[in-house]
Amino acid sequence: MSIAVLLILAIAAFLAGLAGSYLGVGGGVFLIPFMTLALSVNIKVAIATSLIGVIATSSGAASVYVRDHLTNLRLAMFLEVATTLGAIAGALVGLGVPDFYLYVVFGVGVLYAASTMVRVRETAKERAYRGGEESPLTQRLKLSSVYFDQEDQGVYRYRVERPVAGFGVSAAAGLFSGLLGVGGGFIKVPMMNVLMRVPMKAAVATSNFMIGVTAAASAFIYYSRGLVDPGIAAMVIIGVFSGTNLGTRLLVHAKSSNVRFVFALFLVVLGTAMVARLFFPGVPI
Amino acid sequence: MQQRVSHLRRAVVAEVEDINRLIYHVLRAGVVVSVAILVFGFVLVAFTGHSIPDRSIPPRALGQPLYTFTPEGYLSLGVLILIFTPVVRVLLSLVSFARERDRQYVLMTAIVFANLLVSFFLLA
Repeated sequence: MSIAVLLILAIAAFLAGLAGSYLGVGGGVFLIPFMTLALSVNIKVAIATSLIGVIATSSGAASVYVRDHLTNLRLAMFLEVATTLGAIAGALVGLGVPDFYLYVVFGVGVLYAASTMVRVRETAKERAYRGGEESPLTQRLKLSSVYFDQEDQGVYRYRVERPVAGFGVSAAAGLFSGLLGVGGGFIKVPMMNVLMRVPMKAAVATSNFMIGVTAAASAFIYYSRGLVDPGIAAMVIIGVFSGTNLGTRLLVHAKSSNVRFVFALFLVVLGTAMVARLFFPGVPI
Repeated sequence: MQQRVSHLRRAVVAEVEDINRLIYHVLRAGVVVSVAILVFGFVLVAFTGHSIPDRSIPPRALGQPLYTFTPEGYLSLGVLILIFTPVVRVLLSLVSFARERDRQYVLMTAIVFANLLVSFFLLA
């Protein structure tokens, strides 16, 4: 790897960290195709590097969101049980079904989430607490929480819905991320926001908090198999960390409806690429 | 205005359990220390004339390269510190839930931690 290529990689990592921290994803979905296509890095090395980038995004961004009380720590821990179990299951038994089913399911799921996020703009009214019964599991696990939004200087109390469904989707997301070397944030954010009705910023922050743990487990496996290239990884970590410093600042002050809209665009591109893979098997993620 | 904002923020802080501060510091410190060591590794590349390494060193074999100040050693150490930051964070959550005597969450965090150990020691 020449110095010039490493510098290009650092810039790409900066952008991945910026987008990743703003959207609550690890940035692996940007880094893996970039490294394999533009820099012709070996796919295994690219996955290993991306996992490390995911940890850097997560730790860099999550620290700020935890400090600003955007992160729902209990919800994160509850769902992490599912993601880590899913990741181990994926590593142990593989999938058992051809992986294009996974692409179809998640491709369609992601496009559906995108359409919901565009149709419903998340304004203060939608963020506000709704009356009615809390599900027994949510109550028992004290999943519902409260956060402070810089956008309109308001405190929002929110209720977490459909915890069981969320747990199931998280397990599937864990399976997926172990296989592909991504944090799975692109599944977790819409799952929390659309399915569990967690406000967008809290969903982004909580997803960011979770993806580091899932990625750490897989990253160490790649590391001990000698697939981590320390020069490349170091550049990615430095780039991503700088990116998260900007991205977190943007998110905290952003309008929730804008974050949702940008996320929906991101999902449309991603979902289309996933579905396109069925017809053109060469398309990376 | 500023006063009202800080008042609202305090209301939130009071309601959400305050291990947040500690987790913030651990995550932040993990990344900052990792980045500092990696930058040091690149400084060593520049000054010792070693080429940028392309293979990581297994944790057990790290002693020698660190002692002799080779870039391989420091770049690998920086990456490893980053990988272990989320693990330390989970351990910290375990302690704080235990202090709150929240049995359900102690159990859940313990499962997450056990899963991490399984993937570190059995699958690696």
